Amino acid sequence: MMADSISKNKILVVDDSDLERELLIEVLKGAGVQNDFLQAKTGEDAIQLLGTRYKEIGLILLDWQMPKMSGMEVMEAVVKVPAVSNMPIIMVTASGTDENKKKARVVNPNLVGYIVKPYTPESLLDVIYPFVELKKE
Amino acid sequence: MIFSRQNSELDKFGEMLERSLIALFQERGELMFSSSPEKQKRQIIEYDGKMRADGMEKFDNEPTYVSAVNFYASEKDMEKKKTLGALIVYVEQAYLPKLMRLLKYPPVDEESEDAMKDSCGTLCNIISGRFKSEIVSAGYIELEMSHFKNFRNSSFEGIDFCYAEYDLIELACNIDKGKRLVIEMTMGAIPKQ
Repeated sequence: MMADSISKNKILVVDDSDLERELLIEVLKGAGVQNDFLQAKTGEDAIQLLGTRYKEIGLILLDWQMPKMSGMEVMEAVVKVPAVSNMPIIMVTASGTDENKKKARVVNPNLVGYIVKPYTPESLLDVIYPFVELKKE
Repeated sequence: MIFSRQNSELDKFGEMLERSLIALFQERGELMFSSSPEKQKRQIIEYDGKMRADGMEKFDNEPTYVSAVNFYASEKDMEKKKTLGALIVYVEQAYLPKLMRLLKYPPVDEESEDAMKDSCGTLCNIISGRFKSEIVSAGYIELEMSHFKNFRNSSFEGIDFCYAEYDLIELACNIDKGKRLVIEMTMGAIPKQ
């Protein structure tokens, strides 16, 4: 079957800041992450990519603060669609308060991680390791 | 109520901003300021109900990038645009790529105005996020934060702010023995948790 032949190994990085997206990808590649990346600059772009390429995507790294459609709104939309509702999502946000973490988990109880910007490569990798393919030594 | 109470704790929030900024820069890039940030309280210059944000005057008329976020007491207030606070970041154009490099970001395309604006906005976002967390740690309610807006040299339309406030706190930061980064912050009274 065609669907089975497409491995869900792409990471979708959603952030309105080009620099933050580049940094995230650079850190992950530098740590030996082998997955390919898809990028979305807005929540709307992310939804569009998820609609058309969800079979390829295995993880979403999602910024919270974005113009028009926020990361929370993207997550709200994702959890309502059965085809993508179980897709692992890691929030990457400048605001690391417990209140925000709580809000995110209310919207998506299966949220797999919450990373606060600015993050260290180590803290990013700690959260992301279970979901990525690493270069073999 | 037409006239609400002015924030008597603005200086305290200025200290929180300074603390969060120093911690952020040390963690992110082990970036040290050449001297402690110069903090002063100044009057807000208002026109048309907005706060003036002129970047060039901060750096002897050198081209400057300016980014701003607003704070709100709740999601409802954010929807109604009932602003509680503002944080504005000014960085001299010539120093912005180096500052981002010191903070361990990938190289910025200096020729692209969009890329430069994006960098300044990214910086404003992480400073504001850290400041917001510091406010919560001090026992105040969690504020909502807007997305950043970016400008070159100045914001013609001005920045939203809390009308009860007359003052702002300015932090001027010396890096590499020169003034490289200026932050202005104004904040209305924030309820305690």
